[in-house]
Amino acid sequence: MEPHSQEYSVASPLPSLRVSPERLAEILDIAEDAIITVTLSREIILFNRGATKIFGYTPAEVLGRTLEDLLPVAFRAAHPSQVDGFARGPDVSRVMGDRRVVFGRRKDGSEFPAEITISRLERGGETLLTAIVRDATARKQYEDAILRMNQELEERVKLRTAELADRNLQLAQKNEENEMFVYSVSHDLRSPLVNLEGFSDELRLGSRDLDKLLQDDQIPTEIRKKATELLQGSMVESIDFIRTAVSRLSRIIDALLRLSRSGRVVYRSQEVDVNAIVKRVVEALRATSSEKQAEVIVGALPPARGDATAVEQVFANLIGNALNYLDPARPGRVEVGCRQGCSGPDGEIELERNTYYVKDNGLGIPAAHQDKLFRALQRLHPEKAPGEGIGLAIVRRILERLGGKIWVESVAGQGTVFFFSLPIVSNDRPESSEEIPLPQRSS
Amino acid sequence: MKDESIVILLAEDDDGHAELIQRNLKRAGVANEIVRVCDGQEALDFMQQKGAYTDRAPQTPVLLLLDINMPKVDGIGVLQALKADPKSVKVPVIMLTTTDDPREVERCYQLGCNVYITKPVQYQEFVDALTRLGMFLEIIKFPANK
Repeated sequence: MEPHSQEYSVASPLPSLRVSPERLAEILDIAEDAIITVTLSREIILFNRGATKIFGYTPAEVLGRTLEDLLPVAFRAAHPSQVDGFARGPDVSRVMGDRRVVFGRRKDGSEFPAEITISRLERGGETLLTAIVRDATARKQYEDAILRMNQELEERVKLRTAELADRNLQLAQKNEENEMFVYSVSHDLRSPLVNLEGFSDELRLGSRDLDKLLQDDQIPTEIRKKATELLQGSMVESIDFIRTAVSRLSRIIDALLRLSRSGRVVYRSQEVDVNAIVKRVVEALRATSSEKQAEVIVGALPPARGDATAVEQVFANLIGNALNYLDPARPGRVEVGCRQGCSGPDGEIELERNTYYVKDNGLGIPAAHQDKLFRALQRLHPEKAPGEGIGLAIVRRILERLGGKIWVESVAGQGTVFFFSLPIVSNDRPESSEEIPLPQRSS
Repeated sequence: MKDESIVILLAEDDDGHAELIQRNLKRAGVANEIVRVCDGQEALDFMQQKGAYTDRAPQTPVLLLLDINMPKVDGIGVLQALKADPKSVKVPVIMLTTTDDPREVERCYQLGCNVYITKPVQYQEFVDALTRLGMFLEIIKFPANK
């Protein structure tokens, strides 16, 4: 074999590098990496100091041996053909192990993960291959640690997400249970109410018949007088009290049924024309507003994503309330509008929802009453309008189901603003008639 | 014209409701015989001439007033059983219930009930409904199984 020469010509896009062998040996020896040059038959002809450090062999021990001696036993058999493939291939250099981890084998038999770059050098018709080998143990450990940490992190995120989903499910079930409870109780209460109503009416009819009978001339005046007193004073009056109480009870039960239904009906998720809805609501309340001589001002209202019927119910309730609880001391004024992309109740920025409002200059709500406002069966001014105090509870439930919120700002004696948010119509969600899921149902 | 040979079978577990229904039917001018049973099983026994009703004259045309919430067999169960049997599939059935849940109403109609009456808490509406029922009896066609 021709002795390896004074000069190495390095295949590179840079101009040829010409250095003396001594200089080259120095350069090779200060390299931390193992630099090993072999012939086409994989005979080791150069083994630098870095190679000794990594593999544990002195150059004298390996020069003349084949490259396979530096590989784990399992990789040796396939290696010669791999080297041949590279030597004949078009590439002048290749990084090994970019797809899989490659290993080296030390003199003591231990194996280590390695990063290997192999280059082909042509020199006067002879092909030499140079491998630059770096012990990747530390890097591998580092990468493994990162991988492990990532996996742990993912696990924790997964766990936390599952916990949250579970909590949400529990809350939804709880809500559903409450609604079912309210529904079945209200429903069961209806049955005895039919009796109360029915038989108090029977009593009323009976008293009327009895009253007619008492007009009979054959009845002695004295008895007729006493009996009429008894009938009118005691019985009829008692029956009236019972009937008033029963109809109040039945209205409350109906109100509770309406509330539980607002949590159970199926809502659609569609683009809702809020302008049209409010126009309709204001039109329907025309009689009330002209009776109260109130002015209703409606600003521009952007469309929302939700269920048209439910959104109409919300506006009808809030505008109706605003008209019902105006202050007779001043001309009534109700204003409906929207603040786009404005902040929510706690000042947070809302991008996914628009905030609509219904503002009045009415009686206002004292601060002490404001936190009870959205609870069922709470009434602040029962003398002002009929009702069971269920409207705002239903409104809040509807908005929760539609993905919105409701809050209030009010000063007693000055007026009230009800704010509520509804999801915006975003372009990236195609128009559909998808349904807003019902709370999880166990049956 | 009004067929007074029709027997009205009233299946209602609540005594008060049963009494109110009977009184109001009478007031509405319904003079037919009313047989009252307290649960769905008894209603089926009557229809199928079993148990206490083995000796009932089988030819008598029957109109069924059926409450939904009843012990043993509920109104839906009775309705299903009647509509599954060719002998009773044509028996007119009027459902009476306190629920106005649209799904429940829909279900009863799907099962083949003829009329669905909500027992309203507003009593006058209930009376009106029963009065309409009296009128309904005059026009309803009964299966010719005499």
